[in-house]
Amino acid sequence: MMDASIAAKSPRRLGRRTAGRHSPFPLPWLMPLILVLGVFYLYPLLDVFRFAFTNVSLLGRDEEYTLQTIVSTLSKPELLQILWVTFVFTASSVVAQQFFGLFIALIVLHGEKRRLFGTTIVRTTALVAWVVPGIAGGIIWKMLFNEAPFGGLNSLLRVIGVPAVQWLSDPHMVMWSVVISNVWRGTAFSMVVMYAASKAIDPVLYEAADVDGANPWQRLIYITLPQLRTAILVNMILITIQTLNTFDAIISLTGGGPGRATEVLSLYTFNVVFRNYDLAAGAVLSILMLAISLGLALVYARFLPKGEPS
Amino acid sequence: MLALAATTVLAAPHGSPAQEAITGDVVGKPDAPNKLVFRMTTDGPRNNEPAYAQGYSKLFNDFIAKHSDWQIELQMMSGDIGQEQARMLEQAKSGSAPDCAAVDSFVLPLFKKAGVLQSFSPYFTKEEIDQLFPFIREGITGSDGNIYAWWWSTDLRVLYRNKEIVPDAPQTWDDLKKAALSSVEEGMEGVLFNGGRYEGTTFDWLANFWAQGGKLVDDDGKPIFGEGENRDKFIKAVNYYRDLVESGAAPKRVATIGDYDDFNAAAAAGTTALFVGGNWQYAQLRTALDPDEFAKWVFSPLPGPAADQRSTGTGGWTVAAFSKDTEKVKLCAELARDIYMGPANALQEQLPTRADLYDKYEVFSSEANKTFAAALKDGQARPGAPVYPEISNQIQIMMGKVLTGTQPTEAAVDEAFSASLSAFKRS
Repeated sequence: MMDASIAAKSPRRLGRRTAGRHSPFPLPWLMPLILVLGVFYLYPLLDVFRFAFTNVSLLGRDEEYTLQTIVSTLSKPELLQILWVTFVFTASSVVAQQFFGLFIALIVLHGEKRRLFGTTIVRTTALVAWVVPGIAGGIIWKMLFNEAPFGGLNSLLRVIGVPAVQWLSDPHMVMWSVVISNVWRGTAFSMVVMYAASKAIDPVLYEAADVDGANPWQRLIYITLPQLRTAILVNMILITIQTLNTFDAIISLTGGGPGRATEVLSLYTFNVVFRNYDLAAGAVLSILMLAISLGLALVYARFLPKGEPS
Repeated sequence: MLALAATTVLAAPHGSPAQEAITGDVVGKPDAPNKLVFRMTTDGPRNNEPAYAQGYSKLFNDFIAKHSDWQIELQMMSGDIGQEQARMLEQAKSGSAPDCAAVDSFVLPLFKKAGVLQSFSPYFTKEEIDQLFPFIREGITGSDGNIYAWWWSTDLRVLYRNKEIVPDAPQTWDDLKKAALSSVEEGMEGVLFNGGRYEGTTFDWLANFWAQGGKLVDDDGKPIFGEGENRDKFIKAVNYYRDLVESGAAPKRVATIGDYDDFNAAAAAGTTALFVGGNWQYAQLRTALDPDEFAKWVFSPLPGPAADQRSTGTGGWTVAAFSKDTEKVKLCAELARDIYMGPANALQEQLPTRADLYDKYEVFSSEANKTFAAALKDGQARPGAPVYPEISNQIQIMMGKVLTGTQPTEAAVDEAFSASLSAFKRS
């Protein structure tokens, strides 16, 4: 009884002692962070919402509050096509990055387990693509996809007797060329996440599977993927948001063309602000991007495990 | 690494006492009491071409020697000129623009309309202003009659050809198509031109519309290119390019070209015999090609629908002041006069905007530069309307759809016109 009573009271005493060591007024300590977040994140965000209800332009006309910007921006005839292009680009990139990230991570882990030479080289090589700035990546792929007789990939194809491919001038092919360049750059991030999560899987599970005579495919389906579920979903949220915001690599690779074949929502927003000088319409499109990102994040989050199983 | 370091050391301007005035991005003494921030393109001491960088270093040093109580901080723009100019306009509106800057001539009307530029009229004589070509003078003059920038260089588009493969200059659109098809038979790609999402696509192609007397906007700056006779002329000029691609006279890849350097690369690789390029590329070809190869390349005015219907787009760079400090505005104007108005033209062989400078500098007496200067008579600048950047954007989109065959010309033109009108109504 005595022991139980002490045990029941102890956390409360401990809590009081812990609280006594810290200030009962946390606000002064939080103020710097609140100020930084407020000035550099919250204020610009609120300003974007305010701009959306105005007709503000970079050209200096008088600013008026109006709903017309929202109506005219969201009813633009090209917006549906832009959203479709954005969907195809984002969905393809996310699925491919997730697949290749997991694939490379498993290969590296397998190689490490067998102490094979070159696993570090594979990891580092994939990471190199990740650290290349988007603009530079776009320029590299533009040289590779160049359809001139001296273009990178087509020259290689010619050597092996394969006809040249219209990587960028075929409106049906160009989207896949852009996806390839984006996947090349983004796979490393997925690989790092999958690699770290795979390392954390309890080896006992695999040992038990071996004892039960599971083949590699069954180990992947019944152990690896379920154990990686949380990491996969978190990774999907991160790379979806990252891909939705991608425009630097596209602007240097295709500029959004030919026509609007590769003009994603982020690039369209950029063009509206920096080519058409329409800050208010850009703000509406930014909010649309925010809504799409948040919506997708919430959908993914529904599939996240709600807590540790008891 | 050692080679790179050695190259950097050798390429860096050094040796003469005057050049010591440039330290990092600052020209002049660090403790000089007055400071001017100058935002510039590569037309300055940080030019990638060592000879130009050295030439500009000397010009800036000579300038600062005459203004020893000033230091000039040089800020470089990136290559994305459209974005750089839009950002600068935004900064000017919020009062944080540089004191003095390079402003692209095609966005100058936007800066004038926004009321962010300071008048240069007190610092240039009437004679100096009168010597400017009329379209240049008109471009820098505001509605109050004052000048708000100094437009120091201009350029134009021409048709380059390898005369070994295409001996005679094509005079008409049909001539060009025939010449390009015959070059294809000799293993070439055909004629190359900008057709991607790039300002050059619009600007280079507009000559074909202007040559017929077409107008993009009316006097109020309202788009009219999709109405009445203008629409017919516009469609005719678009179909000219479409036919070049569909007939094989131009490769389909033109829809992806958005960089004049691609033409230099194709010329150097010997894969094309014809391309639509800028006058500045002549000097670039001289550097890029062997003398024997370079000798094969000549240029001629852009072909028109008929031999007597010609036009060519003219652009160029200006220097303008944002500072409200009159001393800084004065120094900015003097910088435009002493460094750019003449000396910089001669250094980089960039066409001057004043007729008298063609006689003053020997470099402009070369046959090539004389021809360029003569071709300026057909020159036409982009309209000084605030909606022009969006018209250009819509033309680039339309051109991509037409050249790849994803939309009929008429529908693509009407869509571009409708979008331009909508942008005009919002502006």
